Amino acid sequence: MGRADSLAKLAFAYGVHLTRRRLTRPHAQLSKLLETYAPDGIRPLLPEERERHPQLVGCINCGLCALAAGRVGKVRLPDLASSYMRLYARLGSAASDVDGDSPDLKAAASACPVGVPLDEVAAIVRRLAAG
Amino acid sequence: MSAPSAHDVCVIGGGVTGAGIARDLSLRGLSVLLLEKGDWGAGTTGSSSWMIHGGPRYLEFDWNTTRLSTQDAGYIVSIARNMVYRVAFIIPVLPHDKNNIERMETAMEVYDRFQPLKKAHPHVRLTAEEARQAEPGLSADVIGAVTMEEWGVDPHRLVFANVQDAMAHGARALNHTRVVDLLRDGGKVIGVRYRGSDGAMSEARARVVVNAAGPWVPEISGMAGAQVHLRPAKGIHIVYPHRISNFSISAESIDGRDLLLVSHAGFTLLGTTDDDFYGDLDSVDVLEDEVDYLLQAFERVFPSIRSYRPVRTTAGVRPTLFKWRRYEDELSRRYQVIDHAPDGAEGLVTIAGGKLSMYRLMAEETSDVVCRKLGHEAPCVTATSPLPGNESDLEPADAFGRRTGIPALAAIRLQSRHGSNAEVVIKAEYPGRMVCRCEPITEAELVHAARHEQVRSLADAFRRVGLAAGPCAGTGCVLRAAGIIGTELGWSASQRFDAAREFVRGAWLGRAPVLGHSGWAQEELAAGALRGLRN
Repeated sequence: MGRADSLAKLAFAYGVHLTRRRLTRPHAQLSKLLETYAPDGIRPLLPEERERHPQLVGCINCGLCALAAGRVGKVRLPDLASSYMRLYARLGSAASDVDGDSPDLKAAASACPVGVPLDEVAAIVRRLAAG
Repeated sequence: MSAPSAHDVCVIGGGVTGAGIARDLSLRGLSVLLLEKGDWGAGTTGSSSWMIHGGPRYLEFDWNTTRLSTQDAGYIVSIARNMVYRVAFIIPVLPHDKNNIERMETAMEVYDRFQPLKKAHPHVRLTAEEARQAEPGLSADVIGAVTMEEWGVDPHRLVFANVQDAMAHGARALNHTRVVDLLRDGGKVIGVRYRGSDGAMSEARARVVVNAAGPWVPEISGMAGAQVHLRPAKGIHIVYPHRISNFSISAESIDGRDLLLVSHAGFTLLGTTDDDFYGDLDSVDVLEDEVDYLLQAFERVFPSIRSYRPVRTTAGVRPTLFKWRRYEDELSRRYQVIDHAPDGAEGLVTIAGGKLSMYRLMAEETSDVVCRKLGHEAPCVTATSPLPGNESDLEPADAFGRRTGIPALAAIRLQSRHGSNAEVVIKAEYPGRMVCRCEPITEAELVHAARHEQVRSLADAFRRVGLAAGPCAGTGCVLRAAGIIGTELGWSASQRFDAAREFVRGAWLGRAPVLGHSGWAQEELAAGALRGLRN
């Protein structure tokens, strides 16, 4: 009984939906989606970041880059590529961590055994932290 | 054996349901003993999808279940604010999916009626182009999408917050304590016999014994000669140690099931399978076939999924209520409270079935039955009483971090685990010294966990504070964590080494099924870093 009742109500809702679709003009809703979730840090990656994303989040926190270079702001380089890239939806609340100087990130990246592009990672983290 | 302790109620099972029952009954003024054979939330609860969701799938079966589920999710979101976060799904539609875009949007329009109950936003509909702007990694075959919102939660912290609150209201709660028998007086169940974490046997008398052991429910009820018939179902997840997308994504599997790629705070869960399980409940392995089944489904909507390096898998068994002649996916997630008095086991109550999202309601209904049996009149208050750490608003994380000398990111994670009690945690010595960096954990938090949160192993620390949950999978932190916890618990040097080895071996079992090319390279590195622990 419960199942039949549920399916009947869904069928009615489907009819109402189709009728409404015929009578109203569709409108773009992407901006509404992005505005809704921006306060939660849920926002799209840029297309170029998406393409490189598996490399950007590939850090295994082995620590070799820390031997090759210093810190970005107060953050050790391995942490920048691991924890900060993991938690980027919350980076707006952690901007103070990455304020300050950057070391030679290309040199640091050359020491990375899994090929994390540390200069790109630093740029993304700072962009997201800036909000 | 020491003299038996005496309680109003003994609850067996320290998953979210058992912990919720212990909290509920304690808040009603009853004396409670809660026993868990492993660690809090280490069974089915910890292997879930980490979501408090309303259950749109029940719209096909029973709208009332959806209403109850969303309503209870709303209560949980209110009482556990520090632990929950929004999870925004994109549900892409491909040309040959079983549900076309109009059907999907109809379902979401109906679901939107329930969403305010859990403080969630309504859906939007996206064109193919818009969907790929929101998530550029979606397949070019996507023809449109709808969105849906749910809540994410750390189930380990949710369980422990319930345990903490129960203890704050007088309950006694013991993990690593296995019930080996029920005490009986004629046909009546009058207590339990259990083996503690030190191996000693003890007895506890209770006016009512509650069996909340999840998939182990039949084993416990069998001790009293009562039968509970479950249809256990195995589910696995692949865990990625980072967000693959800020949006969560659904996909249809080869057999038409709905699978989810869920973006949590700092990691991604991809799952889940749903298969009848007949094996050993204490040893649930993940098969490479199951991993491939999940990846195959997601490759169709998110082609680059195989480029990402998983860090481990999880496996659990759902305590689904028994039903013959149904596919696993069609089985109800409803629950049943069973008073075993008619089975000749007066004093034993079982809660079977259900799901994480409805744990509070399941606990309330079970507690109502217990209170009726005891003639105890006190209302349930768990829907409105905040869990520990939610009594006041949080200080902004960067200010909290500056004041306590820890990075803002570590402050964010600390507050997500402890809420307003983060202040208490960080007051321990060496607040700013980091133990685990990819999942920012301070030494102070680990010390606090060992002293005050019943952490007795490194695996317990993984559940309680996220030790080794990040990309290094423990390579950078396990030995140091063993030293810190070992100091607190009085471990010798060899005990610390053994603890680290036990953790590394356990983690290996969960990681082996998902090691691709880059994964094996990392294993070699970890083997070098953790020299000796693999042997």
